[in-house]
Amino acid sequence: MLTRRRFLQASSLFALAPTVPLFVARTAQAAAADKDRRILVVVELNGGNDALNTVIPYADPTYEKLRPKLKIAKKELLSLSASVGLHPSLKPLDKLWQAGHLAVLPGVGYPNPNRSHFESMAIWQTARLDPEEQNGYGWLGRALDPQAGSAYLLGSAVPTALRGRRSTTVSLNRVEEVLLADPASAKQAIGGESADDLLAFVRRQSVDANAAADKLAHLAGGNDGSRYPATALAERLKLAARLIRSNLGARVFYTVQSGYDTHAVQAFAHGNLLEELAGAIAAFFNDLTQAKLADRVILLTFSEFGRTIKENGSAGTDHGTAGAVFLAGPGVRGGVATTMPSLTELAAGEPKMTADFRGVYTAVLEDWLGLPAKEVLAGTFDHPPLFRA
Amino acid sequence: MRRQNDTLRKFARGKFGHLLRAGIREPALLLYLDAQANRRSHPNENLAREAMELFTLGVGHYSEADVKEAARALTGWSVEEGQFANVAARRDIGNKCILGQRGELDGTALVIILLEQPATSERLALKLCRLFFGESIVPPAAMHALAAGLREHDLDIAWATELVLKSQLFFSNANLGSRVIGPVEFVVGAVRALEMFDPSPSTLALADWSARIGQDLFNPPNVGGWPFGRAWVHTRSMITRANFITALISGPDVGRASPYDAAFLPHKYGFGTNSDALLTFHHRLLFGTDPSADIRRRTSGMDERRTIGTLLSSPQAQLG
Repeated sequence: MLTRRRFLQASSLFALAPTVPLFVARTAQAAAADKDRRILVVVELNGGNDALNTVIPYADPTYEKLRPKLKIAKKELLSLSASVGLHPSLKPLDKLWQAGHLAVLPGVGYPNPNRSHFESMAIWQTARLDPEEQNGYGWLGRALDPQAGSAYLLGSAVPTALRGRRSTTVSLNRVEEVLLADPASAKQAIGGESADDLLAFVRRQSVDANAAADKLAHLAGGNDGSRYPATALAERLKLAARLIRSNLGARVFYTVQSGYDTHAVQAFAHGNLLEELAGAIAAFFNDLTQAKLADRVILLTFSEFGRTIKENGSAGTDHGTAGAVFLAGPGVRGGVATTMPSLTELAAGEPKMTADFRGVYTAVLEDWLGLPAKEVLAGTFDHPPLFRA
Repeated sequence: MRRQNDTLRKFARGKFGHLLRAGIREPALLLYLDAQANRRSHPNENLAREAMELFTLGVGHYSEADVKEAARALTGWSVEEGQFANVAARRDIGNKCILGQRGELDGTALVIILLEQPATSERLALKLCRLFFGESIVPPAAMHALAAGLREHDLDIAWATELVLKSQLFFSNANLGSRVIGPVEFVVGAVRALEMFDPSPSTLALADWSARIGQDLFNPPNVGGWPFGRAWVHTRSMITRANFITALISGPDVGRASPYDAAFLPHKYGFGTNSDALLTFHHRLLFGTDPSADIRRRTSGMDERRTIGTLLSSPQAQLG
């Protein structure tokens, strides 16, 4: 929707042409587009999430044979269908599932899977299978390059996925970093309107910044009624929700949940991680729903690989191949969106992928964010209809 | 990174060709742009593309074919034991065609070709104008004249800089307060304006503030380098600029034991030190004009230190 403010901003830029740098003019024009209001939140599950105990083919008798110690009993899991269920720790996601706002995608991978953390993560982050093609830029960084857009990282180490030639990442760890230390002084610092175009621009940005900081302070004061579990991931998604509610304008948020490399005594650690994940996602969407912003936001989870379908001798699992992806949000078409890989037709002892992750990325970029995917992913990939109109 | 910075400082004001020749061989740059992955069997275009798009010609003055050929010319350039190396085994020594020039072109030949293009001189003129002038200050004709002058003077940056700094346009009223001040300029500028030298704030703290405002020294956001102009101004940077000023006048968060003494400068320069005088002094110091009735009204009731903070957080204080 072209608001009066946006029109004024756009027209002031046109008045400056031809000396306005092209990048600034492009950004203003892009702001008018509709899909531009949509937001993507990515949660990277670092370490290799055990897909088989996350999205469980409980009706397949092979499952229990492969996992004598680690199997999840049918009566414990969250049943999604006659054959597929979710790990019980994902119970907080049930509300999203029932509303048709959760897409579950088992079997997502790429040809010739690599079981090195470093190399497989590089593949997922750069969307390039060949290390020679992995030049340090990632799928989201590249996607944001044409508008020199920016992404918010909730954390410190900027992942390759966000690196681009012209796009930028803002790292945030705490909400204090976007709160005003002296709001009264900041308010008084802004005088009346100015005839000078640049000064007027800076003034408007200051007004917007003060408004955003005010809003964030209000939300940080816990006045918003949102409830989040007391976990580190929930804290980060809470911050993301606050940034979104304060209209910061970023389209991509990214955060990492570590600890999934469960080689030994997996059950407890894996359960905890999934509980943290589901609790945070559920609270996040509750929050956005209250703020009437949920329909603009989707959340994607991914991991660098799944784990060995056969448990090892230490009640754990080792590096595997294709993994599970989740997409959550009212904009998502709920359901099990990909085929569960067979546990008997294997390749090198592990399941064959049933969907290419680049197809998922294509859907996210084109169907959700309205950004062209072909150059970003160096190819075109089949993508399932993961989103509503 | 330190060595690259030294190279930039050494060659910045000489002829651009010297800077380009040295800069494009800097290990920091070669590593950043995957030079060592660029070889005959599998060229990597990163260095070639950025050399053309960012360092010389600019977008629109070369084709994708030129980028591919330039990548071939740069094969072999690499870093070994922290030094520039030209690895014969990786070099593509075949015939190439870059921007209409043919031959068994290597990296050295590529640099010469890039320097000869008029687009390079135009882009250098553009960058100098961006550095020293506000957005719509320099008429296109003047910029083109500067580019032409650069071509006549062998792309001598010192010559061009002198011309700019001695120009009427540079000193014109229109050019005052016409540029957004970047984070480092803002942070250091505030400290200098207030003559906070004894004790001075911690430079590490200042660098940290600058990073939070958006300029993390030695760590630009991407290969395009630092933003400029309006791109410095967005919600997060504006909030942090205000927070920096609050910290600067309070003391501890910039590594200074005591808060700023608002009477310090007026007293030093023989000015009055009542609150009205303090406001007037600092307003003249920062903006060259007397405070308006509106500013007096907005700061009445504030203690003197916060009054100065208010001036430094104003939209006007973000321009220079």
